[in-house]
Amino acid sequence: MAAYFARRFLLLIPTFIGITFLVFSITQFVPGGPIDQMILNMQASATEGGVGGSGSSVEIPPESLAALKEHFNLDKPFFVAYGHWLWDLVQLDLGKSYKYNTPVIEVITSRFPISIYFGLLGFFLAYLICIPLGVLKAVRHGSRLDIASSMIVFAGYSIPGWALGGVLLVLLGGGSFLDWVPLGGFRSEGWENFSIWQKITDQLHHTILPVMAYMVGSFATLTILMKNSLMENLGQDYVRTAFAKGLSERAVIFGHALRNSLIPICTGLGHAIGLIMAGSYLIEKVFNIQGIGYLGYTSIVDRDYAVVMGILVINTLLVLIGNILSDVLYVLVDPRIRFS
Amino acid sequence: MSEGKPLLEIDQLSVHFPIYGGVLRHQVGLVKAVDGVSMQIRRGETVGLVGESGSGKTTVGRAICNLHSAMSPDVKLGGQIWFESRSGRVDLNGLARKEMLPHRAEVSMVFQDPFSSLNPRMTVQQIVQGPLCIHEPDLDQKALDERVSQLLDRVGLQPQYAARYPHEFSGGQRQRIGIARSLATRPALIVADEPVSALDVSVQAQVINLMGELQQEFGLTYLFVAHDLSIVYHMADRIAVMYLGSLVEYGSAEQVYKSPRHPYTQALLSAVPRPDPDGKRAKRTVLQGDIPSPLAKPTGCGFRTRCPLAKKECAELVPELNDRGTGHFVACPVVE
Amino acid sequence: MSQPLLQVKDLHTYFNVEGQRAWACAGVSFDVLPGEFLGIVGESGSGKSVTALSIMRLIPDPPGRIDSGEVVFDGRDLLQLPLNEMRRVRGRDIAMIFQEPMTSLNPVLNIGRQVMEAVVLHENLSQEESRNRVIEVLEQVGIPDADKRLKDYPHQFSGGMRQRVMIAMALICKPRLLIADEPTTALDVTIQAQILELMADLQNQREDSATILITHDLAVVAESCDRVIVMYGGRIQEVASTRDLYQQPLHPYTKGLMGSIPQEDSKGKPLFAIRGNVPAILDFPPGCRFCSRCEQVEDRCRSEEPPLVDLGGGRAVRCHLVEKLPSNAEAEEAAP
Repeated sequence: MAAYFARRFLLLIPTFIGITFLVFSITQFVPGGPIDQMILNMQASATEGGVGGSGSSVEIPPESLAALKEHFNLDKPFFVAYGHWLWDLVQLDLGKSYKYNTPVIEVITSRFPISIYFGLLGFFLAYLICIPLGVLKAVRHGSRLDIASSMIVFAGYSIPGWALGGVLLVLLGGGSFLDWVPLGGFRSEGWENFSIWQKITDQLHHTILPVMAYMVGSFATLTILMKNSLMENLGQDYVRTAFAKGLSERAVIFGHALRNSLIPICTGLGHAIGLIMAGSYLIEKVFNIQGIGYLGYTSIVDRDYAVVMGILVINTLLVLIGNILSDVLYVLVDPRIRFS
Repeated sequence: MSEGKPLLEIDQLSVHFPIYGGVLRHQVGLVKAVDGVSMQIRRGETVGLVGESGSGKTTVGRAICNLHSAMSPDVKLGGQIWFESRSGRVDLNGLARKEMLPHRAEVSMVFQDPFSSLNPRMTVQQIVQGPLCIHEPDLDQKALDERVSQLLDRVGLQPQYAARYPHEFSGGQRQRIGIARSLATRPALIVADEPVSALDVSVQAQVINLMGELQQEFGLTYLFVAHDLSIVYHMADRIAVMYLGSLVEYGSAEQVYKSPRHPYTQALLSAVPRPDPDGKRAKRTVLQGDIPSPLAKPTGCGFRTRCPLAKKECAELVPELNDRGTGHFVACPVVE
Repeated sequence: MSQPLLQVKDLHTYFNVEGQRAWACAGVSFDVLPGEFLGIVGESGSGKSVTALSIMRLIPDPPGRIDSGEVVFDGRDLLQLPLNEMRRVRGRDIAMIFQEPMTSLNPVLNIGRQVMEAVVLHENLSQEESRNRVIEVLEQVGIPDADKRLKDYPHQFSGGMRQRVMIAMALICKPRLLIADEPTTALDVTIQAQILELMADLQNQREDSATILITHDLAVVAESCDRVIVMYGGRIQEVASTRDLYQQPLHPYTKGLMGSIPQEDSKGKPLFAIRGNVPAILDFPPGCRFCSRCEQVEDRCRSEEPPLVDLGGGRAVRCHLVEKLPSNAEAEEAAP
């Protein structure tokens, strides 16, 4: 089995190269590369500043253009450029964001805490609510509680998170109706100077709606998965065996059936890692949160390739590692699974 | 009929499945599911192939029908399976898909589980006419319908059942559908892999009787693979007993059933419950333990770890099938 | 005659099928005596498993329900017990083993824990004592190195070994009644012989206790049981001592079941097969439940269900024709 996981880790390398190669080539070949973008910016600032006699067009000296191209390795053949980029990556150098003019690593890590905060919170809340709810629904299958919760859960499933966020903001954000929550942002201004208590309440105040928006989609799938999985297990022969021993329904459900029915849920945990970090552009946009999703989107629009590639590298690695983690979890929860 | 040329001649058949492992997925083991099996099946007779699960009896049946190359591409096949086909003698073992295709009309299979071996989304008509569409593409739909209703009638199902789906039938009826399918192309040889072991006793008897009638009527040759010795004795002209991929005894049904020589056959027979309460708790050799994994076969004789007669020499010598007179072959040097 | 250990009186259990009540167990009455090995025989759909599950009150509700009747054990009607008291009967006084040893064990719990569970639940033993008890009972059922295998999971055992674990689990609290529902059907003949021998040995060790063996295989019954109940269509059709039943089956259904088993002298001849299939649970005919498949059916069989007639000497038959059968007179003579 150790051999299996060793092989899986080795296979990460070609997969990773394949994905980054694909994306790198797209960024290289689409028009409107970083240089065009930079020229546009320079032209814009020049026009605003009114500097330069020729008005609308600014000549960039060929030397500096060449220097720019060299910086982005655009003067080299594609494979060489990719090789350079990959080599830098191995040395943990993701390059420099031209927009923020700081190393990409710093740009991304400054956003990470925000995305992880919302991602992890939403993730844990979803599991904390969905698993007990799914268990309850399975045990009381067909009851009014089961039917009502199914309706709510599926209504939530059919509403995109960002749309729910928008509606809730309109209702509760102090515009036309109730003024219960702030309109957006990660924290209030001047948060650093608050007392501990204020810090916590302010943070929670800003958290409630975005977290709901993050969770609403995964809620239905997780709850129904849990319910179906447990119901399937309750129909198994070993459950009958457990009842035949004289165990109570409670002991049978929690001692026997639950563990088996958590197997498909546990294995989903690994995959969730990638999602936690990725954030969601639309939700972050609605709530004006400067997370990874927002950063990724703006970087694509701005052709800030170093950042785009940086986010991509990190997300790819997380998804790939998440997959392996899923397999590890599988082995841990299900003694029958032995990869070889 | 026993003097006729053999319809099927299996010569040193081996079916090995490699096991891969390690970081680089190299071969770490070899499951010798079938290891050097030789036997002949004469035209019109029934040969019973008996053994516990894990003995390799099903693998032999599948090798004859050339089902391994499709299911596990890594399989290593050895030996020959000579089949007297309409177009001459041919070695079926490891034939490529295309070359095997024409012979599939002549060698067909009935499977164990009538619940999972019929496609649930196909009507009985589609299931039974399937082989015909491949092997007799000239038939038009009217001719197909007629053949299917004849076949259904012959296996004891009403022809109007053709439009129904498998789930509408009981286990016994499904097995009749499976038999109708296997008969569709008028095969010479039918490999029946535990055809009755999933059925209720009363239905078992019906299917056994049906198979007997069909054999008489169409001159079929059966390889009847089963674990139940009393049913095999009832059906078979000759019986081959398999253990861990090898034949341990082979002879006429009377020889094997009435005077078994190999200690494994004896134990297998004594394990069969008899519907006779007076004979109960008579002296019986209950075999201890389980059949060993074909991955870790004992050296020498495969049966020695459970054999009541095992001697020291049994660990060294791989016993060969020897004729003990009149075609009764036994692979055990201890019981001379 | 000693006091019965268990009395089942007029037990009725139904399942809701397509909005109708399907009586899977329709008025079943029988006694189990201490020290007895009782067999209940019938095909799938005969109601034998439902009877057993009703005794344990393990009928899944919905769709099933025990409608009426009594199950008297130890002077108490189990059907009237509050659920928490019934739980104390299950596993401690009456234990059950099931057909599929693979699916009947929890795949993610080690067997030590699963076997120990009942002891911890029903007896006031320390952790150490419980553990020793588990090892003791596992050794008793023939699991080698039991102390080293406590941490192993079900998939690490062979089919026969798993069924031994199931038996150990059932026997750990020394129940007075063991119900075994098709315990050997999924096993090879050699392993079946091992398990039947084990169950017979264990029965002999527990003098006052009894075993009910549920099976479709009359040969298995002949091997192990003292007395047999034959069921069909949710009703008892015949009751007899094993010896009487095999020497002289009275009910046409019992005769059909016997004739379905290949015997040594039936080779080459068609088996006596009961025609048709067991009807779907809602499709049993009015009158005698077996009339749609019976060879000797008369008009009154189709309209009027015969009562279960006590012929004395422990024999009872449910058949209108039973007076006409020549064997009946002999049976009466034989009775004291």
